[in-house]
Amino acid sequence: MLHNKSFVKKTKGGKVMKQVREHYLRDDIYCGAPFCTVCDSSAARLGASPSTILIVDTNVVLNQIDLLENPAFDNVVLLSIVLEEVKNKNMSVYNRVRSICSNSTRKVFVFSNEYHRDTYVKEMSGETKNDRNDRAIRVATQWYQNHLGGDVKVLLITNDKENKRKACEEGIFAETVESYVKSLDRSDLLDLLVRPASEDVDMEEVEDLRPSKRKVIYSEHKPMSEITSGLHRGIYHQGKLRVNRHNPFEAYVGSESIGDEIIIYGRSNMNRAFDGDIVAVELLPQDQWQEASSLSIAGEEDEDVDEGVHLAPNSADHAPRTIPQQGSSEKVNAASNRPSGRIVGIIKRNWHSYCGSLDPMPMPAGSGGIAHALFVSKDRRIPKIRIQTRQLENLLDKRIIVAVDSWDRQSRYPSGHYVRTIGEIGDRDTESEVVLIENDINTRPFSSQVLACLPPLPWSVSSEDLSNPIRQDLRHLRVFSVDPPGCKDIDDALHCHTLSNGNFEVGVHIADVTNFVHPGTPLDDEASQRGTSVYLVERRIDMLPKPLTEDICSLRSDVERLAFSVIWEMTPEADIVSTRYTKSVIKSSAALSYVEAQARMDDSRLMDPITADLRNMNILAKKMRLRRIERGALTLASAEVKFQIDTETHDPLDIGMYQIREANQMVEEFMLAANVSVAEQILKTFPLCSLLRRHPTPTREMLEPFLRTATAVGLHLDVSSSKALADSLDHAVGDDPYFNKLIRILATRCMSQAVYFCSGDLSPPEYHHYGLASPLYTHFTSPIRRYADVIVHRLLAASLGISKLPSVFQDRLQLTNISDNLNYRHRNAQYAGRASVELHTLIYFRKRPTDTEARIVKIRSNGFFVFVPKYGIEGPVYLTKADKGSGEWYVDEQQQKIKKMDGSLSYSILQTVQIHMEVVEPQPNRPKLQLTLI
Amino acid sequence: MGGLSLGEKHFIQGGIAQDLRCDGRKRLAYRPIYVETGVIPQANGSARVRMGATDVIASVKAELGKPSLLQPDKGKVSIYIDCSSTAEPAFEGRGGDELATELSVALQRCLLGGKSGAGAGIDLSSLIVVEGKICWDLYIDGLVVSSDGNLLDALGASIKAALSNTGIPRVQVAAGTANDEQPEVDVSDEEFLQFDTSGVPVIVTLTKVGRHYIVDATSEEESQMSSAVSISVNRQGHICGITKRGGAALDPSIILDMISVAKHVSEQVINKLDSEIASAEAQEES
Amino acid sequence: MEFVSPEGLRLDGRRPMEMRQIRAEIGAVSKADGSAIFEMGNTKVIAAVYGPREVQNRSQQISSHALVRCEYSMANFSTGDRMRKPKGDRRSTEISLVIRQTMEACILTHLLPRSQIDIYVQVLQADGGTRSACINAATLALADAGIPMRDFVTSCSAGYLNSTPLLDLNYVEDSAGGPDVTLGILPKLDKVTLFQMDSKLPIDILENVMQLAIEGCKAIASYIREILLENTNQLEYRRGV
Repeated sequence: MLHNKSFVKKTKGGKVMKQVREHYLRDDIYCGAPFCTVCDSSAARLGASPSTILIVDTNVVLNQIDLLENPAFDNVVLLSIVLEEVKNKNMSVYNRVRSICSNSTRKVFVFSNEYHRDTYVKEMSGETKNDRNDRAIRVATQWYQNHLGGDVKVLLITNDKENKRKACEEGIFAETVESYVKSLDRSDLLDLLVRPASEDVDMEEVEDLRPSKRKVIYSEHKPMSEITSGLHRGIYHQGKLRVNRHNPFEAYVGSESIGDEIIIYGRSNMNRAFDGDIVAVELLPQDQWQEASSLSIAGEEDEDVDEGVHLAPNSADHAPRTIPQQGSSEKVNAASNRPSGRIVGIIKRNWHSYCGSLDPMPMPAGSGGIAHALFVSKDRRIPKIRIQTRQLENLLDKRIIVAVDSWDRQSRYPSGHYVRTIGEIGDRDTESEVVLIENDINTRPFSSQVLACLPPLPWSVSSEDLSNPIRQDLRHLRVFSVDPPGCKDIDDALHCHTLSNGNFEVGVHIADVTNFVHPGTPLDDEASQRGTSVYLVERRIDMLPKPLTEDICSLRSDVERLAFSVIWEMTPEADIVSTRYTKSVIKSSAALSYVEAQARMDDSRLMDPITADLRNMNILAKKMRLRRIERGALTLASAEVKFQIDTETHDPLDIGMYQIREANQMVEEFMLAANVSVAEQILKTFPLCSLLRRHPTPTREMLEPFLRTATAVGLHLDVSSSKALADSLDHAVGDDPYFNKLIRILATRCMSQAVYFCSGDLSPPEYHHYGLASPLYTHFTSPIRRYADVIVHRLLAASLGISKLPSVFQDRLQLTNISDNLNYRHRNAQYAGRASVELHTLIYFRKRPTDTEARIVKIRSNGFFVFVPKYGIEGPVYLTKADKGSGEWYVDEQQQKIKKMDGSLSYSILQTVQIHMEVVEPQPNRPKLQLTLI
Repeated sequence: MGGLSLGEKHFIQGGIAQDLRCDGRKRLAYRPIYVETGVIPQANGSARVRMGATDVIASVKAELGKPSLLQPDKGKVSIYIDCSSTAEPAFEGRGGDELATELSVALQRCLLGGKSGAGAGIDLSSLIVVEGKICWDLYIDGLVVSSDGNLLDALGASIKAALSNTGIPRVQVAAGTANDEQPEVDVSDEEFLQFDTSGVPVIVTLTKVGRHYIVDATSEEESQMSSAVSISVNRQGHICGITKRGGAALDPSIILDMISVAKHVSEQVINKLDSEIASAEAQEES
Repeated sequence: MEFVSPEGLRLDGRRPMEMRQIRAEIGAVSKADGSAIFEMGNTKVIAAVYGPREVQNRSQQISSHALVRCEYSMANFSTGDRMRKPKGDRRSTEISLVIRQTMEACILTHLLPRSQIDIYVQVLQADGGTRSACINAATLALADAGIPMRDFVTSCSAGYLNSTPLLDLNYVEDSAGGPDVTLGILPKLDKVTLFQMDSKLPIDILENVMQLAIEGCKAIASYIREILLENTNQLEYRRGV
């Protein structure tokens, strides 16, 4: 049966076009009930003998998706018209619904009512689209009821009063979500319900426990039309809101229209916007532009911003963001030149669900009823969220996920609803999952489409690979790898042998991942999305499926593997005479750990060829390193810690600083050299579409706090160039051996992180990598765990004429998107890694209160921050009680000291203090690590 | 039609003289008219008209445009005709352009009145959305699919049918736009405005063959004509436009005579066409 | 964009292997020696054949076989946005050529030396697959004109979107930018005479898509055969045989 649908479409040019689309109506669309005698039931998904079949309308799907995701909500028919409407309104909800539909354990069936001969409805004249769709839903419900007969109750779930009324008139069973869920008598399901913000549904017995005096807290959001015209006229500015990770009362909106960042201070100026929302900002008058005063450790307003113990930051991205302070005097309230603004409207919400826990609260009298609780997200950028629950006692000690529903002007906090429980607070598995969810890390197993892209196992180098003219047979070379102990994803290996002319041939062999990951395949898409492997303390989340990561690509010893090799001829002085790149077949003769390699080099009795190679390479590497440092590369330091994990319980047994050996530095040196060589080669061939990595020169503002600290301890640092800084750092020797390292650690955390970029987006001077003092840099050496390296492999192969450049590279915009995603994934992976270490630190100290040495790194008005070198953590030490004023102590900004009023005691920056570390539970189930002065 | 023998020519002329044409018609009789509407769903309105072996399609497309400065209160209508080479191998390439232009101009004159649009068959002011700023522009496209004479009458009839088939989406104008700005419009999907086409004239072409004139000439008959006068007449019997084609000069009294005949014939044609259009529309609905 | 829903339905409600509704009518242009209308969904074309007749331009006359000419044109109203295109733009010239070559291959031109056959195809409505529709219409028109042919050519397109081979793409699917394979076959001889594809496709998938297009061509062939038979029956009936 054929039916033509026509509609009017407005084109970009303002032209009006009539569009006609064919629309075929079918008689072979089945109802999906296995007990149906008429329909083909091979694809049936509903239960065998359900008492009720639910049909939900669009708004129920949009608003109550968390409820739909609950397996208890079953025997649901989703109409295609509903899915279509959901898709148009909210893509992320649509994707969630679709994944419910494809989950074979759920009894959810999609009925294509729009294509069914009997359920398709034609628009009636004068009927709006919504009315027509509502009617379509009712017609389909009616059809189901007639089709399945009286044994099954077909229930339409709708919160639309009008629709419900019409349904009842037409003799269809209809109920609101609330009344249906209530009839199920499941309190956990009731929690999943989104409270309607409007008067759409009569809320019968939900008594409002909130203060009855509801006053308006936030100013109104401007209507969209006003925002559009305001943006047009330049009164408002559009941008994405980014909330300061370390101070949720401060946010930034990067605005293209004024070419600068607008600072938003305080919740009322933020006006209910969330991190990531696209907002419209109005600039405040210049005399209201202000600076943040961040002198106190504890927070502002009524919420206590709890600056707990955390891992010492190793770059500016992890460190609290500091606004440059003009002059060194405190309480600068004079007008600043950084534009401040307030948010007048939200163009696009970035609401999703958040991980966290409930604010501890006493059980309300008469348990079992509805309790109102405040949810605190782990992500401090997110405000507290008000939720209602009927299972308060169950949730108080749990990590839960909560979704935001609305935020009206009268309430200080947004309201949301409970989605699901992850587990108990403090439990290692729970907290690990929280870390992953919070950092948007995909831990789902690889899909079957992705796995279908893998070569059949067991895989081995084939004769075609060997005879392939692009691939050089390097199996005769003495290749070996040096990695951390237990490393399974070995992506690099080395060789080194002496040439007849006295020079050395040094080769870096990188796993040939692009031989298996082809552009445009599901495998490639997945890897591109994941961007990087994520390393947590106790587990690894791979970018590529395990067979590739651990076997086919991994350059394990004594097996033939495919590689992409960079081979240099070097003089004994480590000058590069020539460089060549080739795909190759290698056979690693040894997979060494750093410790083993170091031991071999140190053991003068060993004279075997591999040890000799190692020693030669080490000599070369030292020379290369020296030269690099002379050029101005910074020897930066970070306090990385290493856990020893109990293999049984996965609990940390011991914790200590990660030791860096010569062998590490040697491998690192050759990897750096390979990356630089490859960067030069790809940029030469593809000046506009190469993927490079740059490290921006830190601005004076960023270095400011560090310089103030240095001046306070009488150190003069020259930061005019990386070379000058490197030299200054070399000369910074204090009275104790750790002083230099400490200064380096402090310097490192002032710098931002290196980022990926597309060479066409920037000009060559901006390509500079500050930390390595290299004009060009990229990532080539870890394609198994980083997608950037996969891209660089393809670029290199294309530059050598081995393969064609995939079409993505012709699309600059897409390339920029890819590099943005890589940066995002990379940063998240690091956040996750750090969060995992923090978590294990807490678990470790839970049973082991410890006294240790610490260094003061930051002075505050009521205490100071200390850095604990041994465990790589940093945290506050309070000199006064948090609730008391800071009257007893005063801060000497100039000398970076905090002194007692009577002068009896003073602490200065970088001073060594003895502290006691202990895990305390100030509130039940909220363990935290506390540092106290001994 | 150069392929006629002398005998054939005489036969045609003789038949006309005796009021019995080759296909059995009288001089002032039309061939049966078949109308089919909505043949081009993508257009806002369309119709196919067949008269004997003459087969034409007309479509109406509406676009939002700006009224001209001289006529700020009127929409614009334009007519373009194309002669498909399926109708005649001679139309191949640019071969049909001359005829197409001639037909376009004649139709404009007969249906749309003068430049001012005053005598137009459709009310041009009904096409206005916002005076001086937005109006509907109607593009009428005719296509000659098969030609066996009397193209002008057939095209005129198809345009009339297409116009009565035309629905124009209702337009919502955003309120509160400043005077000098182009207002934002919102086009609705479902509500269609229908035209009043009762005022659209029909075209009656009288072809002079020998001393007589005939209506609805076939191409064989047209090959024997000395001149032809096309007169467009509306329901009220008003003359809306006249075009004379062909070389031979005519006596003014004959022209006046022709006009009165055309007026008489047009009544039958209009009635026939209206009932055909109505039944075609009814057919399309079902 | 989702061109095939997880329920296996395309945007217009067809399943991936289904063709649009096809309709054919012989004798639309009574003045022509042969003519036909062919519709595939909303795509609608008219073909008219003039000939065999005397060669109009003597210099083009071929003494051993017939001269086949073809012109393809699109009506102003055939596409969604109205545009007056001059005749003989590159696209129509190319399609004219494709149709001419395809039809020439099946006409027994050696039986009609020193004559000319003109094929005119006019697109009334374009909604994807115009090439195929033109060829199918031309086949019918040639048959109607009684021109001797080896076999009749039928054509159908197929594409590949959302990792699914799709038969007979409509305009929306065609504009998705995926591969679009247009195939013409001689059904009785089981040979391919026309094969065009844009965009790229792995070879093993191409094989599936091609097979699907061939199935489509065969289905059209049986429909065309039916139409011709019916037409012949009517002719017989009119002649009183």
